[in-house]
Amino acid sequence: MKKIFSMLFLLLAAFCLPLSSAYAGDKPTKPKLAKSPEAVAKGKVIYFKRCSFCHGLKGDGDGPVAHQLFPRPRDFTKGLYKFRTTNSGELPTDENLFRTVSNGLPGSAMQAFDIDQVKSGLSEEERWQVIYYIETFYPDFQNPDFDPSKQIAKVPAVVASSADSIAKGKKLFLENKCWECHGKSGKGNGPNSPRLKDKFRADPTNPANLTRPWRFRAGSTAQDILNRFNTGINGMPMPSFVDSVTEADRWHLANYVVSLQMKPLNTDSVLRSKLVKGELSLNPEDPSWSKVEGIDVRMTGQVIWRPRWENPSIDAVTVKSIYNDKEIAFKFTWDDRTKDIVHQQALEYQVPKDYVGYASWEDVPRKAGNFRDSVAIQFPIKSYEGTKKPHFLRGDGANPVNLWVWKSDLEELKQPSAENDIATGPDSGLKAQDAASQTILGKGVYLKGKPLDDEEVDLGTWSVVMKRPLTTKNKNDVQFTQGKFIPFSLDAWDGANGEQGLMMAVSTWNNVILEAPVPNSVYIYTILGIVLVGCLEVVIVRKLKK
Amino acid sequence: MSEDKAGRLGRFWSIVIAAVIIYGICKWGIPLVSRKLTGLPFALSVPGTLMVFYMTLMTAALFIYISFSEERFQQFLAPIIKLLTGGFGAAPKILVLIAVPLFCGYQVYDSVVPKVSSPSAIRIQHPSSNFPKEFETLTNPLKEPKDEEVAKFIEQAKTGNVEFIAQLAPEIEKVKGDPDGVLGAFPTDAMQAFLKELKGGNPSKETARKALIDKRTMEGRALYEMNCRPCHGDSTGGDGPMADGFRLKPINFTDNGTLETIVEGYAFWRITNGGRGLPNEATPWDSAMPVWKLDIPEDWRYKIMMGEYDLAQKTARQPEKAEGPEKGKEGEKK
Repeated sequence: MKKIFSMLFLLLAAFCLPLSSAYAGDKPTKPKLAKSPEAVAKGKVIYFKRCSFCHGLKGDGDGPVAHQLFPRPRDFTKGLYKFRTTNSGELPTDENLFRTVSNGLPGSAMQAFDIDQVKSGLSEEERWQVIYYIETFYPDFQNPDFDPSKQIAKVPAVVASSADSIAKGKKLFLENKCWECHGKSGKGNGPNSPRLKDKFRADPTNPANLTRPWRFRAGSTAQDILNRFNTGINGMPMPSFVDSVTEADRWHLANYVVSLQMKPLNTDSVLRSKLVKGELSLNPEDPSWSKVEGIDVRMTGQVIWRPRWENPSIDAVTVKSIYNDKEIAFKFTWDDRTKDIVHQQALEYQVPKDYVGYASWEDVPRKAGNFRDSVAIQFPIKSYEGTKKPHFLRGDGANPVNLWVWKSDLEELKQPSAENDIATGPDSGLKAQDAASQTILGKGVYLKGKPLDDEEVDLGTWSVVMKRPLTTKNKNDVQFTQGKFIPFSLDAWDGANGEQGLMMAVSTWNNVILEAPVPNSVYIYTILGIVLVGCLEVVIVRKLKK
Repeated sequence: MSEDKAGRLGRFWSIVIAAVIIYGICKWGIPLVSRKLTGLPFALSVPGTLMVFYMTLMTAALFIYISFSEERFQQFLAPIIKLLTGGFGAAPKILVLIAVPLFCGYQVYDSVVPKVSSPSAIRIQHPSSNFPKEFETLTNPLKEPKDEEVAKFIEQAKTGNVEFIAQLAPEIEKVKGDPDGVLGAFPTDAMQAFLKELKGGNPSKETARKALIDKRTMEGRALYEMNCRPCHGDSTGGDGPMADGFRLKPINFTDNGTLETIVEGYAFWRITNGGRGLPNEATPWDSAMPVWKLDIPEDWRYKIMMGEYDLAQKTARQPEKAEGPEKGKEGEKK
């Protein structure tokens, strides 16, 4: 018996071994390819086929794709590399470049080239070849005086995270003025943030929103963050803190930054609207909203219809919904570094007649004070069979959509801030319905709080509520009934990012369902079930006694 | 059958443990093994209805086993009878008598309470119901340049005035002053071979044709990276920076089930008409695929296809050589 058991156990254990899979990705598994003119020549071919359209034939970061990207592709001729393990101002090691080429830089257009992650990617040998070619764009790589392997920043002994370490880190975040760029809430909305520029082309740049780790370019673990403190980000306003913050303190700071990170998004596609008693509050800060579960709707760039925009600043909007016997309300919350409350229609982007490509961030006056912040929720007007719907980008003539649009500039002017619109296709624009149909009430608040110390500051977050009667007489309005899946999608605009018109963040269709209360029949059946089984038991026990 | 040894555990508990083990194998063992066999990064769980089927089979088999002889049946029932007649004490008996109806009540509640889960739609990825017949045998005309085009290319190359798409103009400016001019910036074998022959004064048609294809593929890659990359990814892996926000994910062209299963005409048709041009069974309302015919001229689309197949390292499916008119399916055997 024991033999059989131990054999089975060993078999099971053997099974488990190949089930675990982990790939290094950022670290080479084979010895590094030797640098040689042949390797550089092969790298040149790879660079030409896979890199030159962004980074340029001359490595100047100005290929044909560059104008539509924000951040722009790296200009290799300046020798300023952001993500390294070497001291501030120094070159990256070959291994640093290997990591960037293998994993890409999430949150930018630089993608992973590791063949284990993408089937058409580059093998390790090919990655070394293209790295050696890229290094030829900046002569200092060939100069032994600037050898990066002699400039590795020392990584201090690990200090594991703990409540104590995080508390220390919080104090350091305040004292070292990290909040001046990253904001006291960590959302990248500090007082210096609108003025920051890079050293490549003096382009504007935004400090990282520390609460969204999936957008960190070179990793979001405490170790990765500590590397940024050690090395600074060359060419960017982020400095090295090696001289100003002690070794253990750098770990405390890193642990604090990790503690700011959001929980993973809840991307469930069904929003449950909760039935409540009493008046629906229009105030986004009303405590009744905190008891309701919402979903995080993923947003992405509007790249479907021109003008195409691949640099949205809003990547998710949290939506909640409640309803009573008369009205339904939706609450939208999203991160936005600046409170944009003015809209200048005259500055809106004019779509060129001939198509050349995507809209560039340089085509729109990208500055706070030009365009409003806004959010819109879109519903199909008609009721459809099965899963058919209008197209999620504004429908079309035969399948129009109803949008509720909240505008920050109207809110600021204390006018009714939610508009009831209709759209019949991407080119139709948002058409406001007549005055009698403007039944949507809206209220938006740019949240304030005291996230770091006693100073009340902007948190870098908008919170907006829109509500409307459940049904209206207007045939161009969506009508709400209990227990039915009603499709909805979102559009969102960050004015300071130059977003207006169709240059916006979009989502695809999700569903909202007005939760019907549990019918009484459910409870009746349950009790019936219990009673029946109970009676059966009595009969059995009686019989056994005999 | 002579003696029926009950074993150390007793008939009742052996049956219960056997049932638990069989359930465990179906619920967790099969998915675990399936993952190892298929090499996929996830396990294939057993569908609900199949679980019911297996459990029914198991129950029937176990019942046949225990009712095989009166003795076996009595051995099986013995602990139950002992419990219900107070053999283990009053407390366990009352506990079980209360727990069982409550458990049944919970099962009833769970099955009748209204639950909300997302409405699912079955979607056909390669619909053919509105695929125009003339596209079935369409081949990419730019992939096989005609003699006149090759001759024109040679002439342009000789004077250093090769025409490129407008979007490449700034890059052309930067390299045209280099020793070998614009074409010298192409380190590919095809172009380098052509340049060598060009310097000799008399490039052959075949070398020039390969160089022209190489040049068009390069333009195609540039156009792909400008227009398609944000969704489909720079290496065509369906993982572009915009991809994650769309529920209907952009196609991963490196997957074996995509480009290599359709003819070129189908790819051209999809690019041209986009998501809105899909028939209803392919849920056009969820598709983010732009209607490129509104923005991109035909020859750019053909170049993009050359760049796309090159980046994905795939070749298109060959159309079937039909004797008569086919029935609407893309190159499928009759």
